Amino acid sequence: MFDRENKAGVNFTEFTGVWKYITDWQNVFRTYDRDNSGMIDKNELKQALSGFGYRLSDQFHDILIRKFDRQGRGQIAFDDFIQGCIVLQRLTDIFRRYDTDQDGWIQVSYEQYLSMVFSIV
Amino acid sequence: MMCYVFLVSQYGGAPGGPAFPGQTQDPLYGYFAAVAGQDGQIDADELQRCLTQSGIAGGYKPFNLETCRLMVSMLDRDMSGTMGFNEFKELWAVLNGWRQHFTSFDSDRSGTVDPQELQKALTTMGFRLSPQAVNSIAKRYSTNGKITFDDYIACCVKLRALTDSFRRRDTAQQGVVNFPYDDFIQCVMSV
Repeated sequence: MFDRENKAGVNFTEFTGVWKYITDWQNVFRTYDRDNSGMIDKNELKQALSGFGYRLSDQFHDILIRKFDRQGRGQIAFDDFIQGCIVLQRLTDIFRRYDTDQDGWIQVSYEQYLSMVFSIV
Repeated sequence: MMCYVFLVSQYGGAPGGPAFPGQTQDPLYGYFAAVAGQDGQIDADELQRCLTQSGIAGGYKPFNLETCRLMVSMLDRDMSGTMGFNEFKELWAVLNGWRQHFTSFDSDRSGTVDPQELQKALTTMGFRLSPQAVNSIAKRYSTNGKITFDDYIACCVKLRALTDSFRRRDTAQQGVVNFPYDDFIQCVMSV
C-alpha cells in the first residue's frame, strides 16, 4: 500500500506514512473498544464499520470475525482488526471501480473476478 | 475439475492408543496424534507443526502458517476452526497429489517453481487461465520470482475456493456472474 515506487519495500519517507496510518488506526480502535478490553467483539465491530460508513449484513460481521479472530475467542485483536479493515476497504474500492453505474451490482467474468480478488487476499 | 491423486505412503507405526478400531493400521495417525490433544482435533498452529515435521514441503523452513489456516478452513465443515482425523486424512491425500504435481513441474529440483512452470501446473490441474491471470497470481505468491510448495498450496486452495464460489453463482454457465456488493465481499472473505 505505501510502496510508491513498486520496489516491494518501503523507504523512510514511506515508512512515516505507514506509522501515521497505524497510529490513526490505533485511535479508531481505542474509540470502538468501548470496554477497553484490547479486543473488539462483534458489537464493537459492527459499530466501528458502521461508523466508517459501511452498510453490511449481520452475516458478514460473523464471517469477518471468523476470518480474523486468530485467538479463537470470538473477538479481534488490534493488528487483526487493521488487517480486516484494510481488506474490506480494498475490496470495496475495487468493487466500486467495477460498479460503473453505482447500483451496488457488478457483472464480472471469471478472470476479472480472479484478478480483482488475488491482488487483495 | 481438481483431481485428487491419492497416494498412500508408509510412515511407520502409529504411537499411542487409537480412538476407534482400524485406526492403528493407519500410518497417518502417528503424525496426527503427535500434535492433536485430548480432543482429537488440530488447529492451524498444530497443523503447521504436523506438516513441518512430516517434511512434505521438502524444505527447512516451517510450513507457511497462513496456508495452514486456509487448509483448516477449507475442510472445516462444522466451522469449529479445527480438523479431526478424517478431515486430516482427506487433506493429506490432497497435499500428496499436489506435491507430486509440484515436483513434476519443478524441473531443476530447486523446491520452487517459476511463473511459467506454475502456468503449466495450473493448466494440468484443470484451471483455464490466461497468461496475464497466471502472471498476476504468480506475482502475489512469489519470493524472488519463485514460488515455494506451501505458497503454491495457498494459491491452489484460494483458486479452487474462488472458482467454486464463482461457478455456484454462474447458473447459466456463461462464465459471467452478477454480484451484489454484500455477496461479493462475503464470498471473498470466506476464502
